[in-house]
Formats: sequence, structure tokens, C-alpha cells
Amino acid sequence: MDLDYLQMLMGEEEVVVEEEGEGYRNIWVVAERVGDELAPVTLEMLNQAQQLASTLGAYVMAVLVGGDETLAQELIYHGADKVFLFDDPALKDYALEPYIKALGDLFAEKMPEIVLCGATDVGGELAPRLARRLDAVALTNCTGLTLDASQRTLVCTMPVYDGEYSEVVAFSPEVHPQIVTVQPGVFGLPYRDEYRSAEVETVAVDLDGAQPRVKVLNVVAEAEREPVPLPKARIIVSAGRGMGDAEGFALVEQLAAALSGEVAGSRGAVDEGWIDEEKQVGMGGATVRPDLYIACGISGAIQHYFGIQDAKFVVAINRDENAPIFKVADVGIVADAKEVIPAIIEALEA
Amino acid sequence: MRIIVPIRQILDPRGFTVSRRHERIFVNREEYIINPNDKNALEVALRIKDTGGAEVIAVAVGKPRVDDALREAMALGADAAYLLTDEALAQTDAAGAAKALAKAIEKIGDFDLIITGQETLDTGDAQLGPWLAEYFGIAQVTNVREATVSDGALRAKRDWGTGYAEVEAAPPVLLTVAPGANKPRYPHGGRIMAAYREWEVTTWGAEALGLDAADLEPLTEGRGRTFPPERTLGERLTGSPQDVAADLVQQLRLQHVIK
Repeated sequence: MDLDYLQMLMGEEEVVVEEEGEGYRNIWVVAERVGDELAPVTLEMLNQAQQLASTLGAYVMAVLVGGDETLAQELIYHGADKVFLFDDPALKDYALEPYIKALGDLFAEKMPEIVLCGATDVGGELAPRLARRLDAVALTNCTGLTLDASQRTLVCTMPVYDGEYSEVVAFSPEVHPQIVTVQPGVFGLPYRDEYRSAEVETVAVDLDGAQPRVKVLNVVAEAEREPVPLPKARIIVSAGRGMGDAEGFALVEQLAAALSGEVAGSRGAVDEGWIDEEKQVGMGGATVRPDLYIACGISGAIQHYFGIQDAKFVVAINRDENAPIFKVADVGIVADAKEVIPAIIEALEA
Repeated sequence: MRIIVPIRQILDPRGFTVSRRHERIFVNREEYIINPNDKNALEVALRIKDTGGAEVIAVAVGKPRVDDALREAMALGADAAYLLTDEALAQTDAAGAAKALAKAIEKIGDFDLIITGQETLDTGDAQLGPWLAEYFGIAQVTNVREATVSDGALRAKRDWGTGYAEVEAAPPVLLTVAPGANKPRYPHGGRIMAAYREWEVTTWGAEALGLDAADLEPLTEGRGRTFPPERTLGERLTGSPQDVAADLVQQLRLQHVIK
């Protein structure tokens, strides 16, 4: 930690970005908003961008389309060395055409070396359009970003075949800007430092000819969302006979709701009549490959294991410490699921 | 109504096994399939054809073997198919393939919709759709679950945040279809025979598309593969329900399993 940084921490000096220079420079983070807040992936990207920037000797620039001064300050607290803020009220709600015009014009002028977007609904559709507009290429859904310092190129890890393995791909040195979409939840959140200060530059864009072409008729939120089919579900909470009764099964449903996941069951749960046959996991039912599978009161017979062997993270809760499910669980809890589940729901809400 | 469906042929994951321990892929049967997500896209196109009539055209870039994927697309219901292949096209990357598809779509001309998969399983690439929309300067709707056309307007239901949005746009529009959005149909036996015996796949090389070697120069380079860690025997959490729950939630967050 050097003196400049200490002074910065003390709030005595702000980060001053040297704007002069030639060629493609700096790492740009395209900030994304969810409601009135910044999307977590935006903060995660700032964290990663700071690490890349220190290797490259570059600044971390953030661009916020349609936000306000408060959010711009949040970007600075989380690591942005400068924020470009499009505060035109017409940009408040996301629409592709005006957003791509704002970003495209800014990047054409500022010539970024690297652009990071979230691999989200919004970032996922902006990044490839930017790539084409700026005569570059995008690498999408990355879970790892490192630098080939000798060539100043990004080396990206891209999961393939549903995460069976990953391809590692680097940009060619002549590609500028290097545009990446970053998967949410992969990089850690940066430390929020309220004493960090930097410049916010308000920028405007001429939206002539950039009217939205797609009309949004109706948005249906989470509460009314349709159930995801089990083989596609990211989070599954599954019940077995060990839940005891319908009351115990209701707890499993509550846990699934708290995690925004799907409810499933073993053969036993289906036989008890707690859940429909189509929600059965294992042989004779669905094969699943979620990121998280929580088995509640399931002993884990081999028939069940066949259905969950591709799950990325398995949690097992069972009273019987010799239950076979514990052999395949990443985390095992030997306890009565009826006592543990309410505590988990509570801990999730805390 | 003319609908163009760019499809990609990929190695069938049922034909290989991934060994995390050896950090290698063992190919047992080298077989190829249509990228499942592109099959979802073709299904969306064919459903529009079923209800209101449409000409569905499949296009693919790659090696000569990609011919099979295009014949399968015709067996499923596509009216015509174009294979973009030669030595340069067979070796290009995502950007080069996108350029070739754009040129081919221009050459086919007069399209109302372009419908493709949101992502490819074998490279993780998710840029083709919006890239093409930008090339043609047209509207786009990504992560579509269902789409219909009535009175010349396109209506689609797309994933949005934790739910979905219903949107409307006037063609030309590019759609990318969400993975697993629908259950693709099976080909009709008679059409399979016809696809191989009667119907033609039109083949274009880079020159026919007006592309030269510089246009198809890869903009990215492979640097190998990484594999997820081998599964290890799990950890046991002990203590009061509250302690165990707190431990668990902390672990799940640390491992990025939940947010």
C-alpha cells in the first residue's frame, strides 16, 4: 500500500484519470441496474477490472446508462476510477436501440482496450452488438479472466457442454476493444470504500434514429413465474420419505421458494402422495443437473443417485448417519430435516 | 414470410466422456448433432410455418459433414438449406462464421425473421444472434420462449429477469431462442428419405460469399481446456440447527452456489 493510496483512503486526494494518450486504453465496465440498485455482477466486474488494471497499468472506467449520481458514487466506492453517466431521463428504462447508441458512440470516441459486460439478459444482448459495431469480437459467458501480459490480451475461460469442461480462449492481439461478458457470481464482491473519490462525467447522446423497435407489452415478475422443468432447474430442493408427513413436505416447498428453486421428490415422496410423479428424480423419473441439489430426508438409494450424479453441489440432510446419500454429498448434515430447514430459511433471509 | 435459421453442428456429448481426473476428453463415438439450442430455434420457426405459413431456410457454416445437419433440418420441415463450406470457412472462428452467415443471408435476401439459438453448447458462444441483428441494423429479441406472427406483427414471450416479458415488433426481426424453450419435433420418415434422395443442399464457398482470407482470419485463439475439480468426499456439518444452517448458507455463498 503506497502513500497515494493511503491518502486516497483518507479522502484527501481523489483518483485523477489522465485522459491524454494514444490508442486503445483502459478497462471499461458497463454498469447494469436492477430496479434502483446496481446489479451485483457490476460490482463483481469492478473488482476483477481493478485486478486486471493493476497488471496493465490502466484505469477502470465505468459507464452507467440511465442511472443517477448516487449510483455513480456507488461505482466509485466499489472501484471505478471514473464514471461516465448518461443521465438523460429517456434512458431510464432499458431499451436496446438507445442504449447501444449511447455506448457505441462513447466507445467509438474513447477507444477502450477492454470492455466488460455482465452475462445477463441485458449485457448478453448488448455486448455482441457492440462487438459488431466496433468491428471487434466478443467472448461470452466467461467464468475466468486472466491476462497474457506479453500481448496485452485477455484470456477467457468459457464453460462448454453445460459446464462439463471449459475452453480457454484468448483474443488475438489486433482485436480492439476486447469485449467480454462475465457470468454473475463468479468473481467476488469488492470492498465498499466510502472514502474513495473520483470524477463523474455527465455525458449526453443524440438519440435521433435510435428509437426502441421492440415494444414491451407486459412484464411478468418472479412471483408469477412458471415452474422450470426439472432437467433445466438451477436449484432443486428434493424431499424423501424421511420428511415424515405432508407438513414436513411443506417445509421443503418453503425452502425451495426461499431459494427460488424447484421442488422435487424421490420415489418415496411420490409413493406417499406428496408430489406428482413428474417431479420424481432418479431412475424412472427425471435426470437433473442443477448447480445446487438439496436432498431432504432422502436415503439416497442407487436409483436416486443415477438421477443426480451430474449435480454440481449436493447437500444432504438426513437423520441416519449411514444413509448412502452422504457418500455423494458435498455437504452432509446429520439431523432431522424438520428442525434444520426452518433454520436454513431463517439464515437465508438474514 | 421468409424465416432464416442459422444452425450449427456440434460433437454429440453422448459420444464422449469427460474425465476430470485425467483432465481429458475420451471420444467413444465421433457423432455430430444439431446444436440443441438451434433445434429449439428451428422448432420456433416451424411452428410459425405450421400456423401461418412460411418459407423456412436453414444455413450452416463448417466442414462438409455439416451437410447432415442441414438435411436433418429439411427432414424436420425446412424448405431449403445452404451449406457454407470450403477450406477457409471450415477453419474460421465465431466472428468469421458470423460474417459468412451474414453474407449468405444477404445473398438469400428478402427475409422477415432470422431465428437462431441463444448459445452453442460446444463453444459457449452466445454472440451470433445479436451480432447478425447489428449487421443488418434490425430489431432483436433475445432469450425467446415462444413466438407467433399475426397480421404481420411478431409477438414473443422472452425470459426477463426472474420472470418473462411479452413483446411485439415489426419484421424484420432477429430472435434468439432460449435453451430448452420447447420440445423439438421428430422428423417425418418420408421427409428423411426425401432429404437425402431428392432435395438439394446448396453449397457456397468463401468466394461466392465475397469473403477473402483476411475476412475469415480468426480473431481469437484457443489456449487449451480446463476441467472442474474432481468430486471429493463431502464435509459433515455438526452443531445446533442454527449453527448448521448458518454454516451451510455461508458455504453456499462462498462457493457461489447461491447469491
